Amino acid sequence: MAHAKPLATLRSATGIPTPRLAIWWVLASEVVIFGGLLGVYLMHRIGHPEWADAAAHTQTWIGALNTFVLLTSSFTAVLAHQAAEKGNGKQAAKFLGFTILGALTFLVVKSFEWYTEISHGYTITANTFWSFYYTAAGLHALHVIAGAIIMGFVAVDAFRGRELHRVEIIGIYWHFVDVVWIFLFPLLYIAK
Amino acid sequence: MSENNEHEHSKGDDHGHDGGHHVNYFGIYVALVVLFLISVVGPEVGEATGLRWITLITAFGIAIVKANLVIQNFMHLKWEKNLMKWVLATSLILMFLMVAGISPDVMNHEGNNWENLAAKAAVERGVDGEAEEEEVVAAAPLGFTAESAYQGICATCHGAEGMGNGPAGAALDPPPANFTDAAFWADRDRERIIMVLENGAASVGGSNLMAAYGGLYTDEQIAALADYVIEFAPEGSGPGQ
Repeated sequence: MAHAKPLATLRSATGIPTPRLAIWWVLASEVVIFGGLLGVYLMHRIGHPEWADAAAHTQTWIGALNTFVLLTSSFTAVLAHQAAEKGNGKQAAKFLGFTILGALTFLVVKSFEWYTEISHGYTITANTFWSFYYTAAGLHALHVIAGAIIMGFVAVDAFRGRELHRVEIIGIYWHFVDVVWIFLFPLLYIAK
Repeated sequence: MSENNEHEHSKGDDHGHDGGHHVNYFGIYVALVVLFLISVVGPEVGEATGLRWITLITAFGIAIVKANLVIQNFMHLKWEKNLMKWVLATSLILMFLMVAGISPDVMNHEGNNWENLAAKAAVERGVDGEAEEEEVVAAAPLGFTAESAYQGICATCHGAEGMGNGPAGAALDPPPANFTDAAFWADRDRERIIMVLENGAASVGGSNLMAAYGGLYTDEQIAALADYVIEFAPEGSGPGQ
């Protein structure tokens, strides 16, 4: 009994494995969280032409670099899933490692970017545009940090050949983090 | 879609699609990178040609295409049970309903019986503020005065009275220098102030938050600015006294 798994992990009324069902539910609520935030941003942006002046100061090339980093990390996450499906835990752990590396790169680039912006006076209280900028990108960065930490645990297990199904679950979450950034990039950096 | 359901049913186990889908992941990744490049270059073209629709399509249209590629192929939503698609669709619809519901209040600044004075003032202030800023920058080479340069550039961090309490300086660490503090002047002479103005404080071992302004002003203007800063020094402590 000591090693018995919770019932919820063993049966599924929906036909969807419970962990996957759970992560989709998490993401369904995330859609409302990020969607609401970005929707409100977009409305303000359209209602306030003067925001364009503030938005002109975001650094497109840094945003573009981070977009590329996250796209690539999504690719390695799906390769990890592919390896896990074939039962190759070591390979899966390796690809998860690359994904974590992507997450760290993203965060380093972001720290550099925020450091320059804050030191030039563009702080979260500078005006409403910058408040949205730091709130939206900050909430997203928290998701990157959380994902990278959980991915570390999953990778260690996968390396030992354990709980390989979790590779897919953390992957689905990670792709969502990528999808959010796919929308943040044009919203905050491209549309000047 | 019915094909996929048959595929799911034929497996007949709890593990849904764990059998692998023969997706060309690398192909999808290449497509994503190409779309990404278009979304960076497109808006530049849009801006250069003044055609705003190019910017909108390449920035937001492509974002939707990219997100869909990731969701369908990397997150495997296209092989997922319909139940999950409905759950996600419900969330998305609720989100759009919320946004649509409040949009008339947020996006309009006046209606039949109301007027959002604060929002109008913000728009007014923002647009005017930007115009003034541009004037200052454009006028700098011609109508330079140390005072206008100080109040236009330095005062944002160092404060209008040189006390290091400018609005943009509040969040900085280390905080901006307080020129009215005698201790600040204890080990600083005019040459050092000029050096910092020209090359940034990092050039003398200080914080790199104090940027270099040598590219913005001539030597004479920098010297005038240094003298202006020195005037903030309290009696008996500045380099001139």
